[in-house]
Parts: sequence; C-alpha cells; structure tokens
Amino acid sequence: MSVLTISNLTIKHREETLVQNIRLSINEGDWLALVGESGSGKSVTSSSIGGLLPRELIISSGSIHLGGVNLSSLKEKEWRTYRGKAISYIFQDYQGAFTPFMSIGAQFDEMLKTHLNDSKQLRKSRALECLNNVNLPAERVYKSYPFQLSGGQLQRAAIAMATILKPKLLIADEPTTALDSITAAHVLQLLAEQQKQTNCAVLFITHDLRHVRKFANKMAVMRKGEIVESGMTTAVLKHPKHAYTKALIAAIPSLKQTKERLVTI
Amino acid sequence: MKQAGKRLFELVLFLFILSFISFVFMKAAPGDPVRYMLNIDDVSITDEQVEELRNELGFNEPLYVQYWNWLIRFFQFDLGESYMTKQPVLQELINKVPSTLALTFSSMAVMMLIAAPIGTLAALYKNKWIDHLSRIFALIGASVPSFWLGLLFMQLFSVKLGILPAMGKGTFLHLLLPSLTLGIAMAAVYVRLLRSSLLESLGQDFIKSARARGLSQKRIFFFHAFRHSLTPVITIFGVSLGSLLGGTVIIEVLFAYPGVGKLVVEAIVRRDYPVIQGYILFMGLFVVMINLLVDLSYRYLNPEIRLRGGDKG
Repeated sequence: MSVLTISNLTIKHREETLVQNIRLSINEGDWLALVGESGSGKSVTSSSIGGLLPRELIISSGSIHLGGVNLSSLKEKEWRTYRGKAISYIFQDYQGAFTPFMSIGAQFDEMLKTHLNDSKQLRKSRALECLNNVNLPAERVYKSYPFQLSGGQLQRAAIAMATILKPKLLIADEPTTALDSITAAHVLQLLAEQQKQTNCAVLFITHDLRHVRKFANKMAVMRKGEIVESGMTTAVLKHPKHAYTKALIAAIPSLKQTKERLVTI
Repeated sequence: MKQAGKRLFELVLFLFILSFISFVFMKAAPGDPVRYMLNIDDVSITDEQVEELRNELGFNEPLYVQYWNWLIRFFQFDLGESYMTKQPVLQELINKVPSTLALTFSSMAVMMLIAAPIGTLAALYKNKWIDHLSRIFALIGASVPSFWLGLLFMQLFSVKLGILPAMGKGTFLHLLLPSLTLGIAMAAVYVRLLRSSLLESLGQDFIKSARARGLSQKRIFFFHAFRHSLTPVITIFGVSLGSLLGGTVIIEVLFAYPGVGKLVVEAIVRRDYPVIQGYILFMGLFVVMINLLVDLSYRYLNPEIRLRGGDKG
C-alpha cells in the first residue's frame, strides 16, 4: 500500500523553478533513496513533504498525499497532527536536532505531550524505552543536555525521537553526512532495525551510493530539480539508463580498481 | 563556593582601583572647594582663612596621604562629610539612593514593556508595517535627546493636560514622566536588538527540528526561540548599564527629582569631593551587582555554562 504519493510536484522561488514535475511513490516498508548532487532539489522535496519549506518557496503545482490526505492543502494548525506523528524527520546536522538549552528528556516529554494524552510517568517510561531501543544509556541520556552527548549519540537520540510515535513515513535527510563513517554505519544499521520494528516507509536522502546499495530497496536519481531515473535499487545500479546515473555510479571511488584520477561528473 | 570567593575578591579589588583612580582625577581637576565653602556668606575672605581651612581638610598633605586617610576611614564605613551640608556622605547617599533605584527600575520596566512586544512583533512580521513602524520608532528614539523628550512630555502632560506632576517626587505619578522619558530612550535600542536576535534564533536548525516534531508555533516561539534570543540582549544590557545610570543623572536634574544623580551634579559644581567619591563608589558597586545578576542569568539561559563550572561565565 502506498504511504506517500507525490504527483507532478513543482516548487518555485519567485520565478525560479527549484524542482519540477516530481513523481514519487513510497510503499509501506519501502526504503527509498533519493540521490543526486548538492543543489539538485533533494532537500527542497523532502522539506515540502512535511510542510517545512521556507515561506519564500511556493508549491506552484502538484500534490503530496499521505495515505488519503492531501498534505499540500493543510493549514498550519492541521499540520501539527501529522508532523512528528505521521511524518517524522532526521536531519543532517545532529547539533540542530535538539534545542541546546533543554535536556533531551524535556524535549521528549514536550513532544509526547503535544501528540498524546499520556500521564507524566507513562511519557517518561515511553521515552526511556525508546532511548534503550537505540542502544543508548537511557537514564543518563534522558537527563543530559545536547552538548553532553557525542554526535553519534545525538543522532541516535534523534532517531529514537523520530520513531517514538511510530510514524508512517520517516524522512532521513542526509542523516550521516556529518558523522564519521563508522558511526554513520552504526546509525544507518539502527535506522534499518527501527524500520523493521515499525514497518514505516523511509525516504532516505543521500549522495552516498554505498549506503543506497546496502539499505535501500528503491532509488530515484535527481538532477537539476527533476527525477531522471527511478526504480528498484539493484536494477538501477546494475543497468543505469540515464547518462547522469551512469556518471554518478562511475564516480564512486573504488577500493579495487586504481585509476589515475577520480572521475568527475 | 570557591567561585563566590573569587568574585568577592574581584569586587573588592575593583572598588579599590576605582576609588583610587577617581580620587586622583578628582584632585587633579581644576577648582577649589575651599573658595566655595567660604564664599557662602558673600563676605570677603582672607588668605589666612583659606589656608586654615585647607589645613583642616588636609588639602596640603601629599596626595597619597590624603588617599590613605580616606581609605582608612572608608574601612570604618565612614565616607566623610559633605563640605556643603556637613552631613555624613553615607547618610546622604542612603537618603537619596532609594529614589534613584526606583527611577532606574521603573525606567527598565517601561523599557521592557515597550521593547519586548514591539521587538517580538517586528520579528514575527518581518518587513510588514509593524516592522517598519518599529524601525521608525527606533530611529526617533535613538536620535531624540532624552532631556528634550522630557521637556515635551512636561509640556504635554503637565502644562497642557495637567494630569501628571512635572517635578519632584512623592507618589507613583511623580515617577511616571521621568521613567517614561528614560524608558523610551532605552527601548529604542532594545527593540531592534531583540528583533534581530529573534530572527537569528528563528533561523536556527533546532527550530526547524522543533517544527518537524509537530510542536505548536507558540510553544516553539516562547520556549525555544525567545529564550535563545535573550542571551545577546542581556549581554548588551549589562554592558550598557553605565550609560543608563548616566541617563538617570540628566533625568533627575530635568525633573528636579531628588536622587543621587541630582546630588552628584550639585556636588560636582561645588567640588564637594567626599560626595563625588561616595557617588562613584556607589555606582561602581551597583554596576558590579547588576553584572553579577547578568552572569547568573547566563547560567539559567545556557546550562552549558552551569554544568561546566562557569568557566565561560
């Protein structure tokens, strides 16, 4: 069943078109990777899904449907029941995932209070359980402020927070770019486990094709605001049709072959 | 605890240096209090009388001896006597300080009542009419001298409308015009400061994250953005406190409001050294105290400072 359907989405900034005619469909349990170079419109697309576009950016045509709801027609007040609950985000910058002067626990509590009517104890035990699930020392992290945690810990706490309400769609906007490769692998592994548990759909924005190969079952390639190729990951990676996809695949630095210079796109 | 001790030591050292510098500058300035003191009765004075009084007041001693004598008495909580009124300076200050504090705090209240809502609205409605209005207000507020604004207020509220007293002190109404005058002048700066600080906060990544979590706009604004934007505002406030107190001097003279500001202006005219010195020490103490409060507020606004043992504070 399709969780998210984007049809003919075009987003403009004044006269300039940022993304054009985007069509995407993500099913329950899918992990769709959206790849492309910086500035290709990946993040604009992902922000538009949650209604997080800056005021200057306007959806000029097309629609975004979550289940049966047309998200692009929601008013600010109506958005709140979807954001964080049905759609949740994990961002690239783990420093910015939490408000710096509030403890992690307070921020969990604040979010749960917004969406649920649980008692205080229940909220706390939920949060602790969730932090435990992402292999963090729950009690300590709950009491900690963001600056007391490492980057990997913060990103795991962010994953815990993003999955605590079992969203239908989890948008991971370059969640590992700011992490070192070992921590990144752990974080993605964790994300994959969380997805299995909740069976949510994942929209994974990245420019690292190694991660795509390992985790995503579907992929879409974006360039200059348009999707140039999409399909099952294995098919696209093995038999890329579009020249840009081919170039992208050729640009992966390989450990086996040694070339004179890295291939540029 | 160790920190508190260090702070106290710094305070004592600061007051010591402040008193020494002000003492030296005061004595180096031209003018002679003895002439003023003897001139009161408007009779001719002889050089002998002058010399006698100079000796009595210790003016003929070397400067360091004079300072030493002052310091010894200071540690006995004796700031000397005013040359003019013959009252102990400490008593004079104790009489006048509450009025000045009342004026200072009510001006600050006026400033906050103006700056907080206008600054907030200007940030929320960036480049809309309210923002333009706040810009005009800031421009006018910053460029109109407060003594002239005070005169305008007097003309309007006291002379034309006759609803507020123009001078003196006593009731709450007497405080209204002086604190409005001072508060408006101060608010001009803070309206713009709060606006830009809020805009900076609202553009932070953690605000986007908070929105993505589905928190309400109000909650995000007050609990996440507003608190974050207070740090630079409070910092500037601590730094500019000196000029605020300088402002009270002008306002007190203008509205004939009997506080320490008016006291010191009269003392300066008459070279009443003990009063001037007492005023400087009081102001130094006050500024240090407020800065201490500013530092304490950092510990609340930013837990990083609190938990890392205050090395950033």
